[in-house]
Amino acid sequence: MRKLLAVLLTLALLGTLMVSFAAAEELEPITLTVFRGDPGDQPYEDNKIYKKIEEEFGVKFEFEFLAGDLDETLGLKLQDLDDLPDLFDGGNSAETLIDAGALVNLLDYVNPEDTPNLWAHIEPQKNRIITKDEVTGEDVMYIIPNYGLGEGEQIVNSVGGPAFFIQKQVLAWAGYPEIHTLDEYFDLIEKFIAENPTNADGTPYIGFDILCEGWRHFCLINPVQHLMGRPNDGEVLVDVTKDDFPTETFINQPYAKAYYKKLNEEFKKGIISQDTFVMSYDQYIAQLSSGIVLGMFDQAWDFGDATNALLTDKKYENTYVALGLVYDEDDVAAEDMPEGWTIEEHYVNGSLPNLDRGFGISVSCKCPERIVAMWERMLDYDWQMLFNWGVEGEDYSVEDGRLTMTAEQYANTQDIEWQRHNKARAFFESSPKRQGYIMEGEFAGQCWEPGNQDEIVFGLMNDYDKDFLSHYGYSKFGDFVNPPIELAPYGEAWQIDKADIQKDYDDYLRIQDEQLPGIIMASDDEFDAKWDTFVNDITPSADIYANFMHEQILKLVAAYYGEE
Amino acid sequence: MTYDSRGTARYHSPKKKSFFQRLCSQWQLALMSVPIFLYVLLFNYAPMWGWINAFKDYGNRKLVARGITPFNGLDNFKWLFSRPDFFVAIRNTLAMSIINLVFGTVSAVLLAVLLNEVRQKMFKKTVQTVTYLPHFLSMVIVVAMAQNIFASNGPINDLLLGLGIVKQPVFWLGEGKHFWWLVGIINVWKEVGWGTIIYISAMTAIDPALYEAAAIDGAGRFQKILHVTLPGIKSTFVILLIMNIGHLMEAGFEIQYLLGNGLVANYSRTIDIFVLEYGTQNMDFGVATAAGIFKSVVAIILLVGANFISKRLGEETLV
Repeated sequence: MRKLLAVLLTLALLGTLMVSFAAAEELEPITLTVFRGDPGDQPYEDNKIYKKIEEEFGVKFEFEFLAGDLDETLGLKLQDLDDLPDLFDGGNSAETLIDAGALVNLLDYVNPEDTPNLWAHIEPQKNRIITKDEVTGEDVMYIIPNYGLGEGEQIVNSVGGPAFFIQKQVLAWAGYPEIHTLDEYFDLIEKFIAENPTNADGTPYIGFDILCEGWRHFCLINPVQHLMGRPNDGEVLVDVTKDDFPTETFINQPYAKAYYKKLNEEFKKGIISQDTFVMSYDQYIAQLSSGIVLGMFDQAWDFGDATNALLTDKKYENTYVALGLVYDEDDVAAEDMPEGWTIEEHYVNGSLPNLDRGFGISVSCKCPERIVAMWERMLDYDWQMLFNWGVEGEDYSVEDGRLTMTAEQYANTQDIEWQRHNKARAFFESSPKRQGYIMEGEFAGQCWEPGNQDEIVFGLMNDYDKDFLSHYGYSKFGDFVNPPIELAPYGEAWQIDKADIQKDYDDYLRIQDEQLPGIIMASDDEFDAKWDTFVNDITPSADIYANFMHEQILKLVAAYYGEE
Repeated sequence: MTYDSRGTARYHSPKKKSFFQRLCSQWQLALMSVPIFLYVLLFNYAPMWGWINAFKDYGNRKLVARGITPFNGLDNFKWLFSRPDFFVAIRNTLAMSIINLVFGTVSAVLLAVLLNEVRQKMFKKTVQTVTYLPHFLSMVIVVAMAQNIFASNGPINDLLLGLGIVKQPVFWLGEGKHFWWLVGIINVWKEVGWGTIIYISAMTAIDPALYEAAAIDGAGRFQKILHVTLPGIKSTFVILLIMNIGHLMEAGFEIQYLLGNGLVANYSRTIDIFVLEYGTQNMDFGVATAAGIFKSVVAIILLVGANFISKRLGEETLV
C-alpha cells in the first residue's frame, strides 16, 4: 500500500512537473513582429490592454506601420520571404501577399474541433472566405476578415457608404420634406440657393459638388447603378433577380444618359460649378468643411474629415444626411430600361465580410499555432469585451443592465493619445473580431461596439440632430434609406480583381474621366453628339470589362453555392 | 594626345606612352576619380541590367507576383507604339519641355542681366533671395497655390473681370489649350531665381576692363549689355542649352500629375505619367521599362545632335 502510494505520489509529481514544463513551454514569452498596411500610432509601453495580453499569452508585439507607398513597401518586404513580419496586414493590397505566397493557409490550423470559436465565427460566410487555390485546387483561407462578420441583425445607424448627401439645413429650411428622386433633390437645392445665395459670412453656396480626382472618381461614375436601385457593385449593373445574373456596364446605357443630362441642366443653371471638375481632394474636403456645399454624391467615409471638422465647429446644420435617390418613372423611358427591371431603392447592402483584409500569418512566422490559439481564445466573451468596451468602471459602466459610457469616456475612445495608452487598436483592428449584437451572457442583445449602442448613439447625439430626427419621426439617420437588401451571392462586384484585363479596365475608366466632365459642361446642341462619341469610344473596353465581370460573378456564385 | 605647336623632339618620340604608363604617372588623379567612377558604375551602368525587363511580359499582376515573367520579344514596344495616346504623350512632353526651356532660359538670362545692372547691393541680394526661394517649395504646395490663384473665382480671374478684359471667368485649369502655358508660367515662377545663379556667376567672371573699354568707346548701358555681357555668358549659355536639350524628354512629372485632371488629360499626360498609369501602377514593369528605353534613346540622339550642331557652329561643346 505504501509502495503504491509512493508510486502514485511519484507519478503525480512527475505529472505536475511535465504539466508545468509544458505550460512553461507554452508560455515562453515571445515578441511578434507586426506590420500594418496603413498608417497608425505606436502604443505606449504602459498600454493596459497589451499588458493583459502579455500576462495571459506571453506575447508582446513590435508594430510597424505603413509609411509611404503601400505597394512599394509590400514589394520591398516580399523580396525576402524568410524575413517577413509574423503578423502581416497587407492593407488594400493584401492580394499581393497571397499571390506571392507570403501567407500560410490558415485552414491548416482552423477547424471545427481545435478552434470552435474561430470556426463558428467564419462558418456563416465560409463559402465566401474559403476559396480554392487557382493552381492546386485545395481549399485556402489566408486571412480571416477583420470586419463584416457581424452577429444578429445588421445595424444601420447611418449610411456609411454611397448616397446622395444633402445638408441638414436645406431639409430643415424646406420643412423636412421626404426626398426620393433626382428631380426633388435638385429642385430643393435650386430653391434653397435662390433664396439663400450665400451663407452668413457672405460666401456663395455651391449647389452640388462632383469630385473627380484619381481613384475617388466614383463620385462621378458610380451614381447611376444606385439610381437604378442597386447597392454598390462598382461599375457594373447586375440583375440579381435572374438565375444567370446578367451583367452590364451601366455608364454607356441609355438610362445613364438621363443622369448626366440632369447634371448638364444643373450645370447650366449654375448649381454645379465648373471648378468641381478640376479640384483636388484637399480642396473638396476644404469646401465641404467650410459648410458651403449643399449636396454631393459620395461615400460617407470619403468625407469623414469634413464631417468631423463641421462637428468640431459645431456647424451641425451643415453636416449631411444620406438620401437614397432613385430614378422616377418618367426619368427613363421604358424601352431604355434593362429587360424586366424594376426600380426599388437599395443603397445599403447586406453586411459583407471584408474579404482578404486583416492579418495573415506569414510563412516565416515560427509559431502560427500559437497565434491561432490566441485568436481563438480572444474571441471569447471576456476578451471581446475588453477590446471593444475596455475595463468596467474605468472605461464604461453598467446601468440597469445596460452597457454605457459617459460623454467623456466615449470621447476618450476617439482620442488617439488616449488610445495609445488604453486600447489595443493596432492589433485588434486587423484581428478577427465579433461585431453586431452580443448573443450571450448578461448583456445579450446589446452591441459589441460602443459606437452602435443606443445609449451612445442617441444619448450622446447633439441636440440639433435629435430635433432634426424628431421632425421625421426617425430614431437614427439610417432610417432615411431602406433597410439592407440581402447580399447577392457574389458579394459586391467591385471587390473582383481585374488584373486579368487590367489594360482594358484602365482604358474603360480613363475614357470616363476624360469625357464625362465635358458632357456635363456641354452646351445644348453639343450634348447629344458628345454623349454618342462617349458611348462609341467606351463600348469596346466596356464590353470586355462587362464580359469579364459576368464570368467572375458566375464563378463566385457557383463557389457560394458550393458547386464545383 | 594633343599636338603642341611648341612641342619639342621628345614630344614626338616614336615611343608613345601606353595607356597604363600614363595612368601610372597620373596615379594621384586616377585615385581621386575612383569614387566617381564607382558611383557611375553602380548607379548609372549597373541598373541598365534592368533594361531586360522591357522584353518581358509583366502584363498580369497575379503571374508577376508568383514570379512568372516570360520573355515576349518586342511586344511591349509594339504595344506602346500601337497606342495613339503614347504619341499624344510624346507630343505633350516635347511641347512642355520646349516651352519650359524657352521660358526658363529667357527669363533666367533676362533676370540675371537686370540684376547684374543693379548697383544697389541690398536690393540686388533681396531680389535674388526672393526669386530663388520658391525653388525650395514642394511642387505639391506650388500646385495647390496655383489651383487657388487660377480658379474660376481666383484672383487672376477677378483681375481680368475687373479690368473688363474678359466677360466670363476663364477656365484656366479645365481647358486643354491653357495647360502647357500654365505649366510654363508656374515653372518660371518656381525656378527663375535658381536659374539666374549660374548666369550671374558667369557675368562676374567677365573682365571689368571690357566694360571700361566699351565705355571709353562711347557704349551706353544697353550697348554694354548687348556687346559685353551677353557675349560674355555665351559659352555658359550654350553648354546649359546642350545639357537641357538632353533633358527634353523629361518635361517633369509632378506638376502635370498634380495639376492635371480628366478634362485636360490629353494635354497633361507626359511620357512619365503614361508610364505611371499603364506601367508602374499595375506593376507592368515591362511597358514602363520599354517607355524608359525609348526616352533614353531619344534623349541621347537629341544630345549628340545638339552637340554636333554646336560644334559645327564653332561653339562650346560637351564632348
